[in-house]
Amino acid sequence: MRRSAPVTAPPAGWRRRDRAMLTLDGVTKHYDLGRRGLVRAVENVSLAVPAGETVALVGESGCGKTTIAKLVLLLERPTGGTIAFEGQDITALRGAGLRAYRRQVQAVFQDPYASLNPRLRIGSIIAEPILAHERPGRAALRRRVEEVLEVVGLPPTAARLYPHEFSGGQRQRIAIARALALRPRLLVLDEPVSALDVSIRAQVLNLLLDIQREFGLTYLLIAHDLALVEHVSSRVAVVYLGGVAESGPTEQVFAAPAHPYTRALLAAVPQPDPDHKLPEAPALGEAASALDPPAGCRFHPRCPHAMPVCKVAAPPALAAGGDGHSAACHLLAAQPAAATPRIPA
Amino acid sequence: MTAPLLEVENLRTHLHLRRGVVRAVDGVSLRMQEGETLGLVGESGSGKTMTSLSLLRLLPKEGGGVLQGSIRLDGRELTTLSEAEMAKEIRGRRIAMIAQDPMTSLNPVFSIGDQVGAPFRYHEVARGPALREAVVEVLRRVRIPSPEKRLRDYPHQFSGGQRQRIVTAMAIACTPRLLLADEPTTALDVTIQAQIIALLRRIQEESGAGIILITHDLGVAASLCARIAVMYAGRIVEQGPVREVYRRPAHPYTRALLSAVPRLGGQRGQRLAAIPGQPPNLLDLPKGCRFAPRCPHRMPACEEYPPDAPVGPGHSAACWLAAKG
Repeated sequence: MRRSAPVTAPPAGWRRRDRAMLTLDGVTKHYDLGRRGLVRAVENVSLAVPAGETVALVGESGCGKTTIAKLVLLLERPTGGTIAFEGQDITALRGAGLRAYRRQVQAVFQDPYASLNPRLRIGSIIAEPILAHERPGRAALRRRVEEVLEVVGLPPTAARLYPHEFSGGQRQRIAIARALALRPRLLVLDEPVSALDVSIRAQVLNLLLDIQREFGLTYLLIAHDLALVEHVSSRVAVVYLGGVAESGPTEQVFAAPAHPYTRALLAAVPQPDPDHKLPEAPALGEAASALDPPAGCRFHPRCPHAMPVCKVAAPPALAAGGDGHSAACHLLAAQPAAATPRIPA
Repeated sequence: MTAPLLEVENLRTHLHLRRGVVRAVDGVSLRMQEGETLGLVGESGSGKTMTSLSLLRLLPKEGGGVLQGSIRLDGRELTTLSEAEMAKEIRGRRIAMIAQDPMTSLNPVFSIGDQVGAPFRYHEVARGPALREAVVEVLRRVRIPSPEKRLRDYPHQFSGGQRQRIVTAMAIACTPRLLLADEPTTALDVTIQAQIIALLRRIQEESGAGIILITHDLGVAASLCARIAVMYAGRIVEQGPVREVYRRPAHPYTRALLSAVPRLGGQRGQRLAAIPGQPPNLLDLPKGCRFAPRCPHRMPACEEYPPDAPVGPGHSAACWLAAKG
């Protein structure tokens, strides 16, 4: 049995860049569609991921959270801003530097039916990243594969089988094993359990928590499930239409959400509790398109507290509490920085 | 009390495939009163969707879905009706389905006015100028803004949430007695999901139709349903009033499911209570209780399938622990 202590260390300073493993500074990603316009997928995102912690990006579909993950994995290059890993700017990495970076940063994707090649045996799937970087002997390679299979709770015999011989939960374990094969330091987890059934989800989440503790891994978690994010992350960034609406220590953001969007999001989560009431009139309308985002604050057309200034000026990230809790909302401008913001109900 | 809206007794839907017999629905009994909302909760492959397709007698031809048992709607037996009677009098008229994925359940090459008008035309409820009127009215009921201006628009011109509203409008068009909503919010974002839940609640209040909500999400079920039936491997293992089932779950599977989901405001970083193992293969079900191989309370009696034992008012569980008190 594995132990059940809390996973994460006490939150280190969000702003203490020296402790952060990964930092994004004003990162922007635009896709030029020519005559059809410009998709502003990610706009001026700043974020720090402290070593050994789990930082979650949470938001609805199309908000840009997966684009941020792709930028961190260098599957896409930013249009502007810098991404630094252990203090080194990685945005322009090529060749050997890029290969060295990729050894340290691996990913687990959402759909284990699409992310595993159906024509390869599990052993080859897990060996692939190793062989891309090293030339181990046959016996050493087999040992490495069996080791990571054991870490994710699969028998060594699994190496000889094909993906279709496994259930969804087991496939996700295989995807995690592949991500661990190079002994990386940062894992980007893009909706790692949302394709799984409830009873299997908990198994895979527990596995991720165990692995993090055992190997001191740092996680960047992309998720839309707020309860899950609250459960596993130490810091959270709420993303809306390409920008960070609010970020800070998970406990603070969930207990005292400062941005009206975070509030609307939290209020809309159905709870497995018959006495929990969803709002009668949930958040208005739907998110605009990143092709044509609203001027000023991007949330203002849906915001119950929108003021004239919200239509013209994009709010800067303002302090909303201690320990780096901030929100990009004009309502905070009038408030003392340290106090819990009061938003009229 | 009047006769129940829906009575399902010992429903069995077995699919004969080359690989063997899939016991997709294997002895389901349900009873619903008029205007009630029943949540049919379970994981993928537990038989929720096959149960609802069986109620409409829309079983796959291939594999010859074999239907046994009894389905009575307002006292009328459905299992013995002819295909023509099902098509003309039941489907879309008395029992209608809100499909799961509004991206695929609307035809991209027909206008919304045309598609929402289809149930009215098919069941000869309205025609001519009255048809247009009826379509606008039903779209207004699902809160499509200025519906009279959108009749010529195509599905891709609507957002995901609006498409789900349109699919809902098609289901309520002919004022059915029973609505089957199969994961109506699964494809939607959480703020849009809350809007659709509010819409379904209002439709129910206005129309008095019964709703069977099929979902894997215990939160969605709790927010909309008065009664809950939990399915596992083709059977209902527990059913009862929502408060009873969530507060005093009697079946070990229900209990495990409720503690396996993280909750807002819960303990951060704690291991979740995972359910060991996997759901059984429907081609090769374990003897006796189907949850027994994963159950922490397994005992020799579980070799035999447990009866539905009452555990509270209107609350029962198919478990020997409950049967023995």
